Amino acid sequence: MYTNEQLADMVKPDKVHRAVYVDPGIFDLEMERIYGRVWVYVGHESQIPQTGDYVTSRIGRQDVILVRAADGKPHVLYNRCPHKGAQIVPPGGGHVERHFRCPYHAWTFRLHGPMLSAPLRAGYEGTAFDPADEAFWLRRVARVASYRGFVFASLSEGGDDLVDFLGGAKAAIDNLCDRSPVGEVEVAGGVFRVWQNSNWKIFYENLHDTMHAAVTHESSVVAARDEYEASMAGQDMPFVLHIMAGNGEPYQFWEKLAVHAFDHGHGFDPGGTDRDPTSRAHYESLAAAVGEARAREILGMNLHNTIIYGSGSPHTVFQQFRVIRPVAVDRTMVEIVTFRLKGAPEAVFERAVTYANTINSPSSNVMPDDVELYTRVQKGNRLDGGDWVSMHRYCGTDRDIPGGKVAVNGTSELPIRNQFVAWKALMTEGGAGCGRAA
Amino acid sequence: MNGIGAAEMDEAIRLKHRVEQFLFLEARLLDANAWDEWLRLFTPTGMYWVPRERGQQDARTQVSLFHEDALLRNVRARRLANHRNWSQQPPTHGTRTIGNVSVTDPGPGTIVVRSSFQMLEWRADNPRAFGGSYTHTLREDPAAAGSFRIELKRVDLVNCDAIHENLQVFL
Repeated sequence: MYTNEQLADMVKPDKVHRAVYVDPGIFDLEMERIYGRVWVYVGHESQIPQTGDYVTSRIGRQDVILVRAADGKPHVLYNRCPHKGAQIVPPGGGHVERHFRCPYHAWTFRLHGPMLSAPLRAGYEGTAFDPADEAFWLRRVARVASYRGFVFASLSEGGDDLVDFLGGAKAAIDNLCDRSPVGEVEVAGGVFRVWQNSNWKIFYENLHDTMHAAVTHESSVVAARDEYEASMAGQDMPFVLHIMAGNGEPYQFWEKLAVHAFDHGHGFDPGGTDRDPTSRAHYESLAAAVGEARAREILGMNLHNTIIYGSGSPHTVFQQFRVIRPVAVDRTMVEIVTFRLKGAPEAVFERAVTYANTINSPSSNVMPDDVELYTRVQKGNRLDGGDWVSMHRYCGTDRDIPGGKVAVNGTSELPIRNQFVAWKALMTEGGAGCGRAA
Repeated sequence: MNGIGAAEMDEAIRLKHRVEQFLFLEARLLDANAWDEWLRLFTPTGMYWVPRERGQQDARTQVSLFHEDALLRNVRARRLANHRNWSQQPPTHGTRTIGNVSVTDPGPGTIVVRSSFQMLEWRADNPRAFGGSYTHTLREDPAAAGSFRIELKRVDLVNCDAIHENLQVFL
């Protein structure tokens, strides 16, 4: 077990101790102090449109049920019957009529948790069994909140409310929804679930690491460029090749990006601008609904990866949420969920499916080289070849903005330093409002 | 033999034999990581599709593990050959066994063939097992009498909805 002082000593302004990636004891503490405290994305309201609809999810090490109860609101319950501890529902989603019924001894519960009944009640007469006692309910997680359909939950009673927690990253959820002419999105198109044999923080750190793109992804960049030259030189580069070749932009391209880092470890980085027919059709449908000026404003906010630390990475332009679930110190599950912009041209949704197939499928030509490097980071940091991991790049030059910082150069390691500010605060201080950008 | 004459039976057996020889050739090329030769088995409009869901009907509005036309198949083959393909160092090796071959639609024009397959994959000391069914839509090869070209190769994995590690090579 580590003291708070020892944990604090692992994070310096410009470097971090390798133990944070490889020590199972630290992972255990993270589950308690980070995933036991922050708001974690559990699912989207469109997955549970009717009362009684549910879908299973996970917060840290806790299997939970996201359910729409009789009050019409989303609720989040631990997936555990208070009788013998059996999981009430299997993994996945479904619908129950009016109540949950444990498949072991038929104890039943209202959709928001309170106990309804147990068979042969006479057997409990004279005992401490009491359906009105919350000890005999499906336990609810401490806090649940929905922001524009995105449901988050926290295992801790204390701390910032959801909107304050999201801070600057809230703009990405707004922008994702605002891209719909009716301001709403829905989960659609199926999901990918992929393993990374590496610590969860390595993926978060990679999301805004612009210096890796051309190096790690050289094989897919060169393959896409060469195939373009061989089969269609002189024509417009098709979308599927463009999103692979894009990693090969020169350093000067990445240096100009305005990378934002917000309180609680969140952040986002900008993407390129799209001028393809699908983007034009999208603009026209949005402008018809909200006016041209507002449509230009919404679509002009062209973000690439957003980070919501502890939850994952929404992508506004290609309408997805990469949900990052730590499973063990060296094993991470990533679930890629795609959204449909309600009211937008179908081609916009089909483009999101194509993007997911190309970039996020376990068969992607792009991600395997990332995942390989994450694994090598994991393996290398088990060695006694040095104790510190560098995050020196542009350290000391970050500019303050309301609720966070912006990098002076798009290749800055500000996002990584910012994540460790939140990490250190959560791991050593706890309580309300921790994890603000220092 | 009810209602099937000897001539028809001979024809069906000859077709099944030709189909099997083609599927075995394809498996040999894949087992040898001979991607460029494998690419040439497809028609110019041929598709390679590995659905993400059982019974998936649509690849435009549902994600797929693979959904690749000639362009994307070529990109994958090029990446697998690139000397900076970090995730292929060491490379993936596999062996595919095909059985239960049946011609489910003998044509005319295109024929549809369903088979079962099992695949053992090996990379970096990690073995993985895949299995499922292949459904090939084939055309007679205009350039090689008696052989075929692939209009559609659909691979239905028994564990299509698993949490997968990287799937890097054609199945």
